[in-house]
Amino acid sequence: MPGPRNTVLVVDDEPQIRRVVRNALDGEGARVLEAATAREGIDLAAAERPDLIVLDIGLPDGNGADVCRELRGWTKAPILVLSARHADTEKVALLDAGADDYVTKPFSTVEFTARVRALLRRANEGPGEATAIITHGDLAIDLPRRAVHVGGAAVHLTPLEWELLKVLATHPGKVMTHQHLFTEVWRGRQHGDAQQYLRVHVAHLRRKVEKDPVRPKHIVTIPAVGYRFGE
Amino acid sequence: MTATLHVRQAAGWALVLAATTAVLLPFRSELDKAHVSLVFLLVVLGAGAAGGRILGLLAAAASFLLFDWFFLPPYGTLTVTNPLDWVVLIAFLVTSVVAAQLLHREQESARRARELTREVDRLATLGAEALSAPRAEDALAAVVAVLRATTATDVCGAYLIDTAGSRLVAASPSDAPDSAVPPLVDWVGREGAPAAELDDGTSRLGSPGVASRTLTQPAGPLVRALLIPLGVRGQTVGVLRVAGRGIATLDDARWRFLDALAFYAALGAERVRLAADVAHVEALRDADRLKDALIASVSHDLRTPLTTIKALAHDLGALGDERSQVIEEQADRLNRFVGDLLDLSRLSAGALHPRIEMNAVDDLLSATVQETEGRFAGRALQVELPEDGELLVGRFDLAQSVRVLVNLIENAYKYSPPDTPVTVSVRREHGRLLVSVADCGPGVPVGEEQRIFTPFYRLPNTAPDVGSAGLGLAIAKRMAEAQGGNITYARRAAGGSTFTLALPAAEIRDADRAAATFTKS
Repeated sequence: MPGPRNTVLVVDDEPQIRRVVRNALDGEGARVLEAATAREGIDLAAAERPDLIVLDIGLPDGNGADVCRELRGWTKAPILVLSARHADTEKVALLDAGADDYVTKPFSTVEFTARVRALLRRANEGPGEATAIITHGDLAIDLPRRAVHVGGAAVHLTPLEWELLKVLATHPGKVMTHQHLFTEVWRGRQHGDAQQYLRVHVAHLRRKVEKDPVRPKHIVTIPAVGYRFGE
Repeated sequence: MTATLHVRQAAGWALVLAATTAVLLPFRSELDKAHVSLVFLLVVLGAGAAGGRILGLLAAAASFLLFDWFFLPPYGTLTVTNPLDWVVLIAFLVTSVVAAQLLHREQESARRARELTREVDRLATLGAEALSAPRAEDALAAVVAVLRATTATDVCGAYLIDTAGSRLVAASPSDAPDSAVPPLVDWVGREGAPAAELDDGTSRLGSPGVASRTLTQPAGPLVRALLIPLGVRGQTVGVLRVAGRGIATLDDARWRFLDALAFYAALGAERVRLAADVAHVEALRDADRLKDALIASVSHDLRTPLTTIKALAHDLGALGDERSQVIEEQADRLNRFVGDLLDLSRLSAGALHPRIEMNAVDDLLSATVQETEGRFAGRALQVELPEDGELLVGRFDLAQSVRVLVNLIENAYKYSPPDTPVTVSVRREHGRLLVSVADCGPGVPVGEEQRIFTPFYRLPNTAPDVGSAGLGLAIAKRMAEAQGGNITYARRAAGGSTFTLALPAAEIRDADRAAATFTKS
């Protein structure tokens, strides 16, 4: 991994999982800190300011969403949630509370390290406000000009589709929950029951920017959670 | 209350009459006949109110004589000279008799009302007891006790239809002659019709729906005991046995009371059954919860070791051991299998609640393709959207519907040659979204089309290495149905199978409107 050595904090009550995470991240050259409880994890995060926090969804001493919110109160370090099958609701709650991504147990080392790398890379890049033109594959988004090109050809988007694409594309690789997307795009506008049509708008948008809407390259569906741009 | 005359009361009222006469007598020359007759009328009413009809009538007669003797000229005789005085006398007599009669009738109905009130009170108390008794048998015992006390019958007993089967059991053993149920009681319980035991040892049988009292009416041997079926909601739940000489002489009110009590007894009996049923269901539910908790706990506890195993397999792979991939695959399979068991158990218990939301078919298909192309690399999947490019939407749970389709596709891959494609196509028909998964396999054998959806089912002659627990289709079907959809199977004309997932479709006109009203800020 290029750049300075990263510090990763893993908060999980299972020592075996902490060991798996430590072994996987040792290979990446990261410094790994371990905490077994939510309290310990928050204290350690405050003291050591890690670059990434790996947080188990089912800690015995705390609600995961509360931990996320508390961490988000003073750190921008990405939070990767260790989730479980049958935990969609909790997963979404954690993402809504500020977590960035999740992996489902039992996860593979390859999958886990790929997620960690992506999160760290984005965190190290810093906020993407400097980028005026976002390109992803054959898709080019010109933010100042509000123009979208697919394979060189201009594509017309409705104002709502443009807002959706902008919010998604400015958070590349981040899992955007339906709630998060909705809040970002509609921002206090009168919307009635528009939230239930969010998916329909995304489908319209996808048909305009994807070559094959069934095998999308830019806007990926994450069932029961939301969408992710790229990766 | 009876109509007998109490001598002391009568003497008292005779004194009142005498005193009244004595008080009025000195002024009889100044008094109008109407005043005198009104005063006497008051006394008659007083006597009637206090002493009943007979005393009232006697007072009326005595007043009539006293009035005539002392206050109608010529005094001291019963002769009446003025014909108009006859009118006064007759009017007085008629008025007092009618008044005494009316008073009597009023008192009678007041008495009945009081009795009725007591009866209602008793029934209300009994009803409250029957519904709040800690054990249903106690409620039944209370009904029997009240029945015995209030209907002047000698022996009462109650029998219940056993909750386990249709066997009758004695519910108040102290009253049952012996523990065995008499054949006649058994007959009443089976037929739901009343019966009567007669004095000469024979019995008289009723038919269902016939009031039990009609059995006491025909001439012939006296009724020794009545057997009344206890019916609730058209079902016989027990038999009430009422015995004794009193049965033949019960009046209307007591028959009503008996019927009401029989109904309470039926409610009591029903309660016994319901309480037992609830206990049984509760036990089943506990067992189910235990099973669910067990699977959930296994599923949870499996995650940590499986994660460790996969991590170790990865390390082995890094060292060049090719078996590591197999270990990872098998770990995933084990995880999926336990997850499937958990899902199936939750689906059966109705505990896997779908989140029905407006979803686009594009989301359903793309998420399905993403999952299957990751898991079954090397197998071809063709996806056909509607040719007119219409965006189809429906109301369903996206994650669960993806699960359903992935299971259908996995199943198609499993039972078709590896070099043949599986085709997913979607269309809208009669308010439903139809997503079809078609393969080029041998198809499901005739006669097995329904059984393939039962858990742990395997097609006959399936090679053992096909490797599945046979839960995929069972879960898919139940998940589809939980969302208001279903799965149907059809044979393809060209050979192979088509499984079609039907989901409720939706309209997107509203969504277009919502988009149109969205203006740039």
